[in-house]
Amino acid sequence: MAFTIVSQGTFVQPATAINMTIPLPSGADYFVTTNVTQMPLAPATGVVIRGEWYGGGITAVNDGIRWKKTNSTNALLIDTFATATASNGFTYVTTQPQPEAAVVGTAITAANPAVVTMTNTYSEGDVVQLYGTTGMLQIAGMAFTISSVSGSGFTLLGLDASGFAAPATAVTARRISKMMPVEPRFLYVTGITKATQGVVTVSEKHNYVVGQKVEFTIPGSLGMVQLNNYYLPQNVPPVITAVTDYTFTINVNTTSFTTFAFPASTASPTAQLFATVTSAGQSAQFNPITNVQTGYNTQYVPYHSGNFIPFMYLPAGAQSPGGAANDRIVWQAYKMETGTINSPVPS
Amino acid sequence: MTFSTGITGIQNMAPELPLQASEDLLSTPMFNLIHSFGVDLHHAESYVGKTTRMSRFERLSTEGGQLDGSGIDPASEVPVRTDIDATMEIYAKSIVTNEQVVLWENSKTLTKFTALLGQWLREKEDLLMRDLFSSSVSYINATGGLNGDQPSNISLNDVNNIENILLGNDARSMLTSLEATLKFATGGVRDAFIALANTNLSSDLQKVQGVLLKSAYPTQEGIRPEEYCSISRFRFFVSSKAAKTPGISLRGNTVYTIPMYGLEAAAKIDQNNFTAKIGYRPDWVVSSVAQNSQLYAKFAIARAITNQNWISGLNVTTFQPS
Repeated sequence: MAFTIVSQGTFVQPATAINMTIPLPSGADYFVTTNVTQMPLAPATGVVIRGEWYGGGITAVNDGIRWKKTNSTNALLIDTFATATASNGFTYVTTQPQPEAAVVGTAITAANPAVVTMTNTYSEGDVVQLYGTTGMLQIAGMAFTISSVSGSGFTLLGLDASGFAAPATAVTARRISKMMPVEPRFLYVTGITKATQGVVTVSEKHNYVVGQKVEFTIPGSLGMVQLNNYYLPQNVPPVITAVTDYTFTINVNTTSFTTFAFPASTASPTAQLFATVTSAGQSAQFNPITNVQTGYNTQYVPYHSGNFIPFMYLPAGAQSPGGAANDRIVWQAYKMETGTINSPVPS
Repeated sequence: MTFSTGITGIQNMAPELPLQASEDLLSTPMFNLIHSFGVDLHHAESYVGKTTRMSRFERLSTEGGQLDGSGIDPASEVPVRTDIDATMEIYAKSIVTNEQVVLWENSKTLTKFTALLGQWLREKEDLLMRDLFSSSVSYINATGGLNGDQPSNISLNDVNNIENILLGNDARSMLTSLEATLKFATGGVRDAFIALANTNLSSDLQKVQGVLLKSAYPTQEGIRPEEYCSISRFRFFVSSKAAKTPGISLRGNTVYTIPMYGLEAAAKIDQNNFTAKIGYRPDWVVSSVAQNSQLYAKFAIARAITNQNWISGLNVTTFQPS
């Protein structure tokens, strides 16, 4: 037998399709996806019903064989993902992903939330590192989760740029991994309210949880230095009391602190950047009177690897192997029984 | 030009075996293993789950406490415990060797491949610790350099800034422990914190004001080859595999991350009896016709930043763009 299935599985795309990563503990020599939602239909031209990837360097990065149907009929056509501009193909990842090739944009609005104008092929929830942000250099080098992604731009829900003096007139982005090699990781802080319990906004969707302790690093150029390496009166790091996608609340009264604000763009590169926050443990509490346990999360809080490597990266999209919204995808990873696909052991 | 002398030599009668192996193998390249320097080593027991918890009692408040003679007791204080958790993970590598490799081409492959796997064990462990430092620590962008980038190239002001942070947070330096004295010798700054840098930064390190290169240390005895220099209270160790991220500075240059820390800032947790396992599976186990044998190596590791107050560091670029 030439191939053995080493793992298989299925997933359903959410209402807004996202790129998928499939951990492959044994690696793979052949990988196939089947879109079982689209397969019995007669969808529009280019909609993928099956994708194939061959290892050993046979399939180029971001490519693969694409099985699709002709417009509104059941007739099959086969080509490659690289032949269609609206598609992305398979990428087999064997090391922690490095920043991808640079993509140049033309503007970032000084608004809340900030909106980037950039011709791109990114997907909802991707993380990009922005730099060369002319006119908005105070964020040059920061990473952001992007949303409301279209081919012409995306929104930075983690950045309120309405207080900035001017919009950016240029920007360059590199897509990076959503997960750092180790989690929980540090995050960029883009805002902190002055309140009885301060609310912290970060540039990326975070996985911090209630009960997690955090430590801030806030250079003087960003204002609220009272929170820099802040410890509560009893030498306890601040504790998170509530979370949303881009914010979390801490048990620190920031009312009398200096206002958090980005320095002017012209202060870069001499102004110290950035404000960051990182995990400092947790405080698990069990109240035997109320029988309530708070502050423990075995899935996220313990330090652990962020990405399982190697993995197969399946970009979302009707013309890509990851499928579109609500599509059910079945995937299978195969290995050569011995040898590899391009250098099999003679039989 | 060709000519004949009538003599049978190697020019007209080549050796039947045209090459031979030298008696010794050449060295296998190996990078500096620096990312476990100064981290605490803990051990995890078997049969009690894969999450290791390290706990610290935060110190008591020093406010108040005076007795006024009225007989009224001062308020008591509830100690607070901070828990640092880490998940144990197992990594493995194997080499499957066909009998024909040994039969026709190579000798002593078991010995040679075992050495390779041993090197992999230590290199992989080093990179895993590097990833912990690069992912889970807050770094400060250097701004004291003159290359016009954000972050800038490294400068004395930037190093001193990190020193202020560590001293202000009561971090302990390495050489306050006898064990560290033995590990890092006594040259350079005796009472030092540790800094880990990429070898690409070596020329920039040489230019930092007040740098003391290793060659100028008052004593050379016991100095590790990985050490490069001292700046302020930091002793810098370098590796070609130390953390860097290409193309993300203000100007799109490579950003290098330099963890700088004192004692008990980070931890490496070994699983008891699983620190380094190297094994052999004979050909009659691996292959139905007894043609392939297998060597494997595996180890378990968990890692954690145990005190964010005692670790900081710099993001820097190089003076010449890289």
